[in-house]
Order: sequence, then structure tokens, then C-alpha cells
Amino acid sequence: MELAIEVPQPRLRAVPSDSAPTQPDVADPSDAELLARVGKRDREAFEVLYGRYVRPVFSLALRRLGDRGHAEDAVQEAFAAIWRSASTYRPERGAAGGWLYTVARNAIVDRLRRNGPSVDAELPELAASDAGPAQLAEDSYVSWRVHRALEDLQPREREVIELAYWSGMSQSEVAEYLNLPLGTVKTRTRAGLARLATVLEGELE
Amino acid sequence: MNRRPTFDELLDDETTGAERAQLQHVHELLLRAGPPPELPPELEAGPNLQLTMVRRRQRAKKRGMLLLAAALVAVLVFIGGYAAGNGQKGSRGGNLVTTLNLKGTTNAPNAQASLEVWHPRDGNWPMTLTVVGLSPLQPRRYYEVYVVRGGKILGSCGVFRVKQTRNPVVVTLNAPYPLQKGDTWVVTRQGVGEVDPGPTVLKPVTA
Repeated sequence: MELAIEVPQPRLRAVPSDSAPTQPDVADPSDAELLARVGKRDREAFEVLYGRYVRPVFSLALRRLGDRGHAEDAVQEAFAAIWRSASTYRPERGAAGGWLYTVARNAIVDRLRRNGPSVDAELPELAASDAGPAQLAEDSYVSWRVHRALEDLQPREREVIELAYWSGMSQSEVAEYLNLPLGTVKTRTRAGLARLATVLEGELE
Repeated sequence: MNRRPTFDELLDDETTGAERAQLQHVHELLLRAGPPPELPPELEAGPNLQLTMVRRRQRAKKRGMLLLAAALVAVLVFIGGYAAGNGQKGSRGGNLVTTLNLKGTTNAPNAQASLEVWHPRDGNWPMTLTVVGLSPLQPRRYYEVYVVRGGKILGSCGVFRVKQTRNPVVVTLNAPYPLQKGDTWVVTRQGVGEVDPGPTVLKPVTA
């Protein structure tokens, strides 16, 4: 008998159904603050950091390993490495996101080495792309930053952004799907893009 | 998915100038990044508590190296014997069915735990519970793990005690029941001779 405890995950994450506007996350600690707390063995901070980065780390692992099972293991190893080495992070040497990217990437590369060339050969991205290693590395970092930034959106902004960009729906179809006026969808899309612009400021240089 | 949105269809004409250019750059980054992946349930559930126990384990290892080595040998002998006797895998690697994160109730606000459920053998579902933050109890009192179905206690999966609040406790449990979708677990505080489940100290973390 197969145990089916796991609840099927919807493609889009849940969005609060109430219509009241959500408060901006001004009180949320920064990634650097969370890392400092994780360095002092603060599990609560670790859980918050995990929530912000699990998707980017998994995305990065999938790109490099090409296999969901291996990627899942790599995510566990990456976060174990983050927990172990958070106390070595120095804010004056760079942004927390970059430090986390490096730690995660190293954990993923370690797994790639352990798995040997058979897994390396499975890499669809590397095999199918004409881009060189530098371009692939840059693309990986862009995805990392964008997927991390999406975590900072209000759920209703993230929903319209994800539907607009990756569901194949037009704005009218998104409005119909969400049972919202088209103007509301456009307003949320614009707000989401503007928030992403703020978070991704470094990428816009 | 073939259709990619154009920037002009997403925004109204009121956004102009530098702001529009900035948003268009974000638009291009989104297209370049592609969709974020759907997380497997194990990752969606939150961090596995065992991830955070490496250093504490290392400290314990320094204090009790000989004891640990002896225990390790005993475990290896046991696993090897079990595998040889049953013709099954000696390790549980790859046989994890699900991981459930638990958090302390008001009866144990600082407690948290991670429960791993492994694939069944002969109708038994082995489980590994890793818990920190529970208080040591008086003699003749203990903690008990119950499987819950439809909001009601289905049965006990085992009992354990805690020696020190700060140190993680790892216990092996078992669910001798045909588990179903939606089953979950709680940990209660019990006393010898008590029949009904006592106060709940750990319950599942809900999204």
C-alpha cells in the first residue's frame, strides 16, 4: 500500500481570500540579520531564511543536477551547510544573498561531484544550450535573484505575476480566472513589477 | 507553455519614462529567469530539524566519543544482521515517505520536532522522531506519540522520555496501522496507568 499523506501541491501558492490590503513587510528582518541570528543558532530565524530561499536553492539545484530527487537532497545539504557556516558570514564583505548563493552552489557542486559523471550527463540545461559556462552561470544567478525576489511579493501580486508570465494566460484570461476586473489585475501586476524592481535594484544597473 | 507576455499588454499607458523602463527591465528578468519550480512536499513543509543539530551532535561526540563509537558498532551490527536476516535494505536511505514538522503547544511552547515516516515493512510504518525543547518529566511520566485521523486519536506509536530540555532526543517509533492520506501525529504528556491521551505538547505545523 502506498501512503498518500502528502497533500498535492497546487501550482500556485495560496492567496488570502479576504479583500483587505495586506500590510507591507517593513518589520521583516533582512537576510543579513537572519544570517546573523542563524549564526547564533536561532532556529526560528533559520526557518524564516529557509522559507525565503528554499525555492531559489531548489531551482538552482534542479538546473545543475537535472533530477528532482538529487536536487531535493542537495537542498537539504545546502541548508545544512548554511546552518553550519552562518557564523562565518561578514556583511561588510558582501550581500547576504550572494553569500547564500555561494554556499548553496558549493553544496550542489559537491553533490554533483559525488554523483559522478552519470548525473552530469543528465543536465538538460547544459546539454541543450548553446550558451557558454559564463552565460549559464549568469543565468543561474539571475534566476536565483528573481526567484528570491518573488518571495518578497504580496501573495496577490505574486499570483498575478506568476499567472501572467508562466501560465500562458493573457491578462484578460487572468482576470477571468481570478474573477477580478481587468483593471485590478493590471494594478496588481504593476505593483508586483515595481516591488520586484526595488528588490532587484542591483540587477538593474 | 508557449505564450510569453509582452510588456505592453501588462501595463497601462499611464506608466511612462524611467519608471516604465525600469519595469520593462524587471519584465525581461522574469522572462529570463523562468518559472520557480514547484517544491516537493518534503521541502514545502519546512526545514528538517535534523539539519540544525549538526553542531550539537559534534559537541556530544567530543564528550562521549567512546560511547558513540560503541553505539555505532552496535547499530551497524544490528543493521547488518537485520539486513542479512530479512533480505531488505540495511539503510533507510531513499525510503522516506514523508516528513512532518511539529511545534510546541502552550503546554511546551519551546518544543519543536521533526517526524520522519519510512516505507512500511510487514504492515509496520517505522518512524524517527527528533525533538528538542521538551522538559524532563517526573518518574512514571512520559511522552507519547499518537497518530491522528479525522481529528481523532487512532492509536499510539510509542513513548519516550527526555533527559535534558536542551539536548535533542531521537527516538524510533512505529505505526502498526494502515496509514491513510490526511493522517497526522501529535505528542502528549502521559502518566503510567492513564488510558486517555493527556495534554498535547506537540502538534503539526500547518501552513
